Amino acid sequence: MDLTKALTISARGMDVQSTRLRVIAENLANEDTTGSTPGADPYRRKTITFDNRMDRALGVETVAVQSIGEDMSAFPLRYDPSHPAANAQGYVKMPNVNSFTEIMDMREAQRSFSANLNVLQVTRSMLTRAIDLLK
Amino acid sequence: MWAMDVTDIGLFRLAEQRLAWVDQRQQVLAQNISNADTPDYQPRDLLPFAQFIKRSAAARATRLAVTEPGHLAGRPPQPDFDIASRPTGRAPDGNAVSLQEQLTKVADTDTTQALVLNLYHTYLGMFRTAIDKG
Repeated sequence: MDLTKALTISARGMDVQSTRLRVIAENLANEDTTGSTPGADPYRRKTITFDNRMDRALGVETVAVQSIGEDMSAFPLRYDPSHPAANAQGYVKMPNVNSFTEIMDMREAQRSFSANLNVLQVTRSMLTRAIDLLK
Repeated sequence: MWAMDVTDIGLFRLAEQRLAWVDQRQQVLAQNISNADTPDYQPRDLLPFAQFIKRSAAARATRLAVTEPGHLAGRPPQPDFDIASRPTGRAPDGNAVSLQEQLTKVADTDTTQALVLNLYHTYLGMFRTAIDKG
């Protein structure tokens, strides 16, 4: 039945948004994670992309996490000679995480999650209504 | 012995087709919304119901010719009723899903299903009245 498939599609949608929130949480938690040896690289920001794929078991296309990659942008430098990760010139490489970007991303994930939840609720009420026809 | 099949009655058949259309549309819309953040994704929709029944009637009328007893009748072709809907805008990543638009369509599908089921129920009630011993 198509409605149960619609339920699964919405559930997958919520799934990928949760994974996205996990990645955002990792990035925010590691906002200040630097290396521990002189000149070592700090935490590198993670990125996530989605893809629409055919689910052969269900026979429908559902959304899936395509890949969790890394943001290859340059690390900002901060002058702090007393830091254990400071290089010969006294600069420390900081993680390339921008909390504003992460928070905006988080809001978007939340919005998409609620939209999927909304569709799930509507589909469920449609199913219930169809079952009520038996009464 | 005369057996009654409710699908032979016009309104019931129409209701059945409409419900199938609603089911399918809900699936397509759920797919659009779950892909609201997928790069380059284009939202899809079904043909409006009036066009949908016209096309499915045309599809049923088209059959393979059987000129020998050994020929297989084959199944009538099932046209793809999915159409790409015209995007209203596009995000920088190429995604063209507008959540507001899709959610409005979901609400519309929900209302249509309620209407059809109510009509079905009422019509069925009339049959029940006729069948009941007075």
